[in-house]
Amino acid sequence: MITAERKPLEELIDYVKPFKRILLLGCNECVTVCAAGGRKEVGLLASGLQMALLKSGSNIEIKQHTLERQCDPEYVEELVPMIDGSEAILSMACGCGVQQLATRFKDKPVFPALNTQFMGASERQGVWAERCQGCGDCVLGITGGICPIARCAKQLMNGPCGGSTGGKCEVSEDVDCVWQLIWDRLKSLGQEDRYVDIMPAKDWRSGGGSGPRKIIREDLAE
Amino acid sequence: MNFQKKLAANDFVLLAEMHTPKGINISRLVNDARRIKGRVDAVVVPDMDNGIMRMSALAGCVLMKQDGLETIMHMYCRDRNRMALQGDALAAHVLGCHNIIVANSADMSQSDHSDAKPIDDLDETQLITTLKSLEKGKDMSGFELDGSPDFTIGCTIPGFADADSADKELATARKKIDAGASFVITPSVFDIEDSSDFLGKASELGVPIISTVFLIKSLAIAQYIKNSEPEANISEDLIRRIRKSSDREQEGIQIAGETIAALKDRTQGVLIQTLGWEHKIPEILDAAGL
Repeated sequence: MITAERKPLEELIDYVKPFKRILLLGCNECVTVCAAGGRKEVGLLASGLQMALLKSGSNIEIKQHTLERQCDPEYVEELVPMIDGSEAILSMACGCGVQQLATRFKDKPVFPALNTQFMGASERQGVWAERCQGCGDCVLGITGGICPIARCAKQLMNGPCGGSTGGKCEVSEDVDCVWQLIWDRLKSLGQEDRYVDIMPAKDWRSGGGSGPRKIIREDLAE
Repeated sequence: MNFQKKLAANDFVLLAEMHTPKGINISRLVNDARRIKGRVDAVVVPDMDNGIMRMSALAGCVLMKQDGLETIMHMYCRDRNRMALQGDALAAHVLGCHNIIVANSADMSQSDHSDAKPIDDLDETQLITTLKSLEKGKDMSGFELDGSPDFTIGCTIPGFADADSADKELATARKKIDAGASFVITPSVFDIEDSSDFLGKASELGVPIISTVFLIKSLAIAQYIKNSEPEANISEDLIRRIRKSSDREQEGIQIAGETIAALKDRTQGVLIQTLGWEHKIPEILDAAGL
């Protein structure tokens, strides 16, 4: 999923304080799962903003709504009947959702309430960790299902650097050395021979090196 | 008088671009440079211009300097992060290369290493800010330098498609000047009259404007630029002139020389760009009467 964290309240107050009526918009997908921008967080933020603004002597009307998916134009269309009542939108979606709104509602200021972080997986309750950088040319089949692009600080492709100590990365003792994980995994699978194969310099074009990426499925595109 | 002093004195400056080799054979570079020594104010050394991997600009500048030529080194952000850029800038100063053009870089996808990971850690305006910070004795993280460099920093305006784009590019150049650029290199000028509006606007930037004069090597190149870069304003008359010429190579040299001569009273300098025909620069200077 795409993970995110809410921006500091002070930053959000700066965004919305010029307005009297805003739409605070959550998203029911990834940011709900990572507890950053779902219906519950919309309610909490609305209360927080209203209290903070009241304290400073200003008042704001906050309409709350949560879309099924902010990154999908089909769902964004739902907002058309309610959008005129708001001067601006504060989006609790990831950056994709924010931009979808800005594209659809050209005359409305749209502000992000979240800092979008990474594509990650849940490690345990309340903990998400980066797992994929969308490099467009997946190497997991070679590396035992563990990604050196997303999980090695140096994105090394042919084993660990000199900073790998006791299975931990030099960046932090809380970070596993991904090449230790890959080595252990390949050994347990009896695939150590894969480790010795030299992986050539990566072609970064598929990873965004040639600019913003787009997928066009001719069989689906209208 | 050196380049920096000439700029400050509002004197006309004459620059010539010389590319480093893709390899280690420097004889052509050195020979071409020797032939224009004393005839230009400085040699501009691009780094990996147009995305072609080649010997670094810093090494090229040092070679020029060893031959007694003043240099202006290209720096840009595609291939190096902020640490590498700062390190190269310090090295350049120590090696006697004090003039820098913070240039636009072709996108990695257009390079001859299109599979490489682009860096783009900083943008050009930020790089200029960084160079100015080094001059004040601090690196980007605020750490004190043991001896601070000083540079004359310029920026470039890339080719633009229409008047609106030109305004946008001029506004971007304004930001770079505010950040610390003290001269501007314009896109190639082919038609003096057609460029006068732009050059007039550029002069309002308040820093020396140096126009690029590009050597048209053949009719095919003229037609290619006309078709692929309509903003370059290569006129039908110019195409016709080259087509009718019995010696098109010489005609291109003559056109470049005439353009330089015509620009002498309109801009504060000219950068001659030949993209591989650096050995023709003396003839261009002859044609310009310089």
